[in-house]
Amino acid sequence: MNRLFAALCLLGLAAAAPSAQDVRQVVDEAQRRSSATSQRYEGLLQVFEAKGRVSDKRWTLERIGSHGQSRAILKFTAPAEVKGVALLIVNHPDRASDQWMWTPAIERDRRIALQDRSTRFFGTDFSFEDLEERDVNQYDYQMLGDETVEGAACWKIQSVPKERKSSQYTRSVVWIRKDNYAFARIESYVKDAVVRRLDYSDIENVQGIWTARRLEMTDLRRGSRTRLTLDKLQYNTPMNEEDFTLQALRRQ
Amino acid sequence: MRRSAVLATAILLACVSPAAAQSITTRGFVEGRLFVFPQEADLDHQHFIVDLLAREELAARPTDWLRLQGGIEFRANDADQVDDSWQPDIRDRGAKRPLLSIRRLDATVSRGRLTIDAGKQFIRWGKTEIVTPTDRFAPRDYLNVFDTEYLAVPGVRVLGQFGAHSLDAVWVPVFTPSRIPLPGKRWTVLPPGAPAVDAFDRAIPEGRQAGLRWAYVGSGYEVSGSFFDGFNHLPVVEPVGPLAFRLVFPSMRMYGGDAVVPSRWITIKAEGGYFTTDNPLADDYVLYVIELERQHGELLAAGGYAGEHVTHQRSIGRFAPDRGMARAFTGRAAYTIDANRSAAVEAAVRADLDGVYVKAEYSQARGDHWRTTVALAALGGDPDNFLGQYRHNSHLVLSVRYSF
Repeated sequence: MNRLFAALCLLGLAAAAPSAQDVRQVVDEAQRRSSATSQRYEGLLQVFEAKGRVSDKRWTLERIGSHGQSRAILKFTAPAEVKGVALLIVNHPDRASDQWMWTPAIERDRRIALQDRSTRFFGTDFSFEDLEERDVNQYDYQMLGDETVEGAACWKIQSVPKERKSSQYTRSVVWIRKDNYAFARIESYVKDAVVRRLDYSDIENVQGIWTARRLEMTDLRRGSRTRLTLDKLQYNTPMNEEDFTLQALRRQ
Repeated sequence: MRRSAVLATAILLACVSPAAAQSITTRGFVEGRLFVFPQEADLDHQHFIVDLLAREELAARPTDWLRLQGGIEFRANDADQVDDSWQPDIRDRGAKRPLLSIRRLDATVSRGRLTIDAGKQFIRWGKTEIVTPTDRFAPRDYLNVFDTEYLAVPGVRVLGQFGAHSLDAVWVPVFTPSRIPLPGKRWTVLPPGAPAVDAFDRAIPEGRQAGLRWAYVGSGYEVSGSFFDGFNHLPVVEPVGPLAFRLVFPSMRMYGGDAVVPSRWITIKAEGGYFTTDNPLADDYVLYVIELERQHGELLAAGGYAGEHVTHQRSIGRFAPDRGMARAFTGRAAYTIDANRSAAVEAAVRADLDGVYVKAEYSQARGDHWRTTVALAALGGDPDNFLGQYRHNSHLVLSVRYSF
């Protein structure tokens, strides 16, 4: 939940603007300020297809841990035909996440084969890789300059996955707001073409963490977009490690 | 038993009411299906079958550590596959599908590393698709052999999670057989000269079943070992007179295991079991599956080989779809077209090409509640082969489901 989590978390507090050489300091600070021991929210996913059709999905997400060491369980609550489908995501700091899906119709969990993590998640414009949480240490960074996004001054930073990190994206360009260190936008590239754009909006301070309440992912190749709206967001609520296992997935 | 089922349902509902403040979730659907069989079978000349299924499931969490689950079903069918009685059925041991059944009714208690499930529940073991040798607590409804559903079993299941290790202990006091094809219907193929019967004589064992499964989720692999002691939910044929027989569910002991190894390019799945019995009419054998799975964009493809090695041949006849799909290459490919549409193909082709099964499916959702699915299943091969014996049963299925 890489981009998602980053978006949900980044907070701001504008200190002296770092110079281009301080790019690593910016991303470290963004990650530090977004750290939480746990997170819970109810999400509304709206898929706007290129032909104009709109479909809604709702899920609840619970996460324990943070940044590369976290575990999350995502459970669909609507529409009726996917109600009860759940996903366990176990993030690793040094490799791709492990993911298992629980399908109540067959009462079985199934490890998700993610050789190609560009696969769309349940027909949305988020890919499975976009659902991973990433650690800043998995990327190399370069400051590209300053730019304004939706009226907010931002640092424009390029991130390139390190060799050990398998990614569908060749590189990403991220805009981090100078006033609160929250992400404003991410554009992800395959070779030289932008393939996905993630825009963050409705940024609020939730329990001390600046969080985007609305994320909109646009698949530029398909011409479709998916909007995720976060509701009932809570950080640092008590959670148990035992509730983030395969066994717990089965009793969702 | 029926009275106890009603009582148990009442208890569940009583528990749920005060629990409403915590969380209650419900889900269900009504589905109508039309089966079209272009060919007539030897025993069955019906070309069209209409089937109706309504299911409602309820889950309640009165406290953080307790979860109650129940499900009921109503069925109707114009091919005499559904029982006539309106009495709610919880045992699921009848030859026909119950008209009204309590599909599941169980309580789950979670305390720390332990989870205990008690009641009528679904227990699934194994990792592979299409053929799953170690899935021994999962009898199925085979009234349509290639369009099956799992049956829940009554029992107690204790799961322990100890870091990356887990232990799954199961005790089932009452045996639930798979529901096999009905006599006189197209999915029943009898040897030449066998007399027509209205109902098969079935000897259903009353003994208990037990099993233990250890699993380990490592860094980049999963592995498990499993043991089962009970009865095969699929029957063998016992001759009881000239041209007369009954169906016996033989004792079975299984030593099995499965493994999943995901890699950057492909995921390898393997599962196998060694099955022994003290029944003089059943075989000792090894059943195994090796599969490769690969995700490419929106396409998920899995394919492999299901093998069988009989170490002691004793049976003279049996109904065993798991073994019937063995000695075959199996595969499945699913493609997600968009948020509402998907397509899938699955197939099994016997290694000696004497039997083949192919099923193609297209599914489309409309709005939040409706889904229409069209499936075409083709079967062919030699009459003495498990797949080939159903060569007249290729069919089309049109289903419309309203989920709520």
